[in-house]
Amino acid sequence: MMKKVAFLSATVAMLVLSGCSSKEPAIDATANANGASIGTNVNTSSTGTDSNAVIAPITNASANDTTTGAAGSAGVNGSDGQLVSILFDYDKFNIREDMQESMTKNTLLVKGKSIKLEGNCDEFGSDEYNFALGLKRANAVKAALVNSGVSADAITMASFGESNPVCLEKTQECWAKNRRVDFKLP
Amino acid sequence: MKIVFLLLTLIQLSWGADATIEVVKGVEGLANLAIEDSSLQSSDMSHKFSKMLVADMNVISLFNVDESYAMAAFDSPVPSAVHKDAQYLLRYRLNSDGSGGINADIKLLQNGRELFHKSYVLKQSEMLVFLSHTIAYDINAKLGGSPIDWIKRKVLFIRLTSPKHSEIIASDYTLSYQKVILKGGMYGFAKWANREQSDLYFTSLSDFKPTIYKMNLLSGKKEKVISSDGMAVCSDVSEDSKRLLLTLAPEGQPDIYLYDLATGNKNRVTDYSGIDVNGQFMGDGSVAFVSNRLGYPNIFSKQMNSSGISQLVYQGKNNSSLSSYKNFLVYKARESSATFAGNSFNLHLLSLNSGNVKRLTASGENDFPRFSPDGEAILYIKQEGARSSIGLIRFGVNKSFIFPLKMGRIQSIDW
Repeated sequence: MMKKVAFLSATVAMLVLSGCSSKEPAIDATANANGASIGTNVNTSSTGTDSNAVIAPITNASANDTTTGAAGSAGVNGSDGQLVSILFDYDKFNIREDMQESMTKNTLLVKGKSIKLEGNCDEFGSDEYNFALGLKRANAVKAALVNSGVSADAITMASFGESNPVCLEKTQECWAKNRRVDFKLP
Repeated sequence: MKIVFLLLTLIQLSWGADATIEVVKGVEGLANLAIEDSSLQSSDMSHKFSKMLVADMNVISLFNVDESYAMAAFDSPVPSAVHKDAQYLLRYRLNSDGSGGINADIKLLQNGRELFHKSYVLKQSEMLVFLSHTIAYDINAKLGGSPIDWIKRKVLFIRLTSPKHSEIIASDYTLSYQKVILKGGMYGFAKWANREQSDLYFTSLSDFKPTIYKMNLLSGKKEKVISSDGMAVCSDVSEDSKRLLLTLAPEGQPDIYLYDLATGNKNRVTDYSGIDVNGQFMGDGSVAFVSNRLGYPNIFSKQMNSSGISQLVYQGKNNSSLSSYKNFLVYKARESSATFAGNSFNLHLLSLNSGNVKRLTASGENDFPRFSPDGEAILYIKQEGARSSIGLIRFGVNKSFIFPLKMGRIQSIDW
């Protein structure tokens, strides 16, 4: 790779400096309009001489997704009914002391019911790690619920990463509200 | 065309120090190129096309590009009066085909002498920018420029439109052409399923469990690949398109799995009790990935059939995303220990052969790096407040470029 890059860079520099004066004048044969395609929807009676003279449409399909019902947006709190979202510190997924009261309240409300826990993060990073952080937060809440007697089979989880904020301002307070686990009833 | 086109920085890379010096010298001595419209009549479209070619000719970095618009006869050996100093002339002639497409003729002249001549067929006039990219590719190849196979590739990205709503969009690398290919749900991590870019994988978060789908771009047909409680992401596709590296969390525990598309078998690659994500196939058969096994996210690797884990990166305290090309890695690192204020996330390039690390971006929030399939360039997301841009870094010419998205925030990209 090093040699390749060095060689190509040197080639570019030489061409640029020389104004390409050493290049033989060359004329490409005019491409066959029915020639090979770079896309997905053209005739393929290729002449074999040019593979990129035809630019085909990207798609003819409808973009409307009919197979899925979009999940509803969260309210200010993010959780359903009387349930309260659990907040977390930056880059952390342990349940804070000040969230224990909310956990106790939520546990009483969800016992005997099916529940979906949705992990969320602030806006710093849209990568997989951020999604995983949201999931680990949901998993910490699940472990606490199971410890308090809620059936593990009644709990499902998903992570939304940064894509489901309840607060959109650029403040520490706002980011703190978005690092949370929401309780959703089916 | 509304490409806002900023030359950010000239990056000094470590590879081939002598070559780097030569390229920098070369920038000063670039030959002048002017672009001339030879269409029967000047139109909005032919004006727009001139600007597209200016942008692409700047990106190929072989010329000093004159941005002024002028018309000239296609077969004239001399430039128009405003372009009299140009050594190179790029002439184009656009003709509507009467059914929504365009036929185009292109000619490149050097001091009145014809170097290149070709005709193109564009099936949909809305995709005009792809015609410009294809012409740039051909001219660059003709003049022996640093490889730019990536310039013709379609870019896939996810745009977050509102909380829990997003769209999957196919675009060109400058974002000037955008086609929504799926909307109505919450999607993430769209990734091309093969080199031909005929199919893609994406995660749907609207389903009961996070689910990875495969979708054919032309027909729009979708099929379910796999679902998992908690998290399901297609992180990488093998070169032969037959194996996937997935992040799944069946027990609420995000780990990396190798998935065989022919058999449907999945094998767990990592089993750490913290976070293991973002698996990438490496040139030596190993898998590189992000893990927080040392208490913060960093880059590690593992051979498929061994339990040993190697730390690959020894710099930075928060290295939370990566992309691989053979024995090269590009990763995101948080620069300071401050939680938020004045924080920046920069991309770094690591050669596993030499151990050399070079910073690729200077400031801001830079995320989601993706090597082009030929390893010649990197695409990445630059977040500035509520706004996202796509960044492009070209190794062959040591340059980077930024292309802003007009609305929404980008969650993921691939090309």
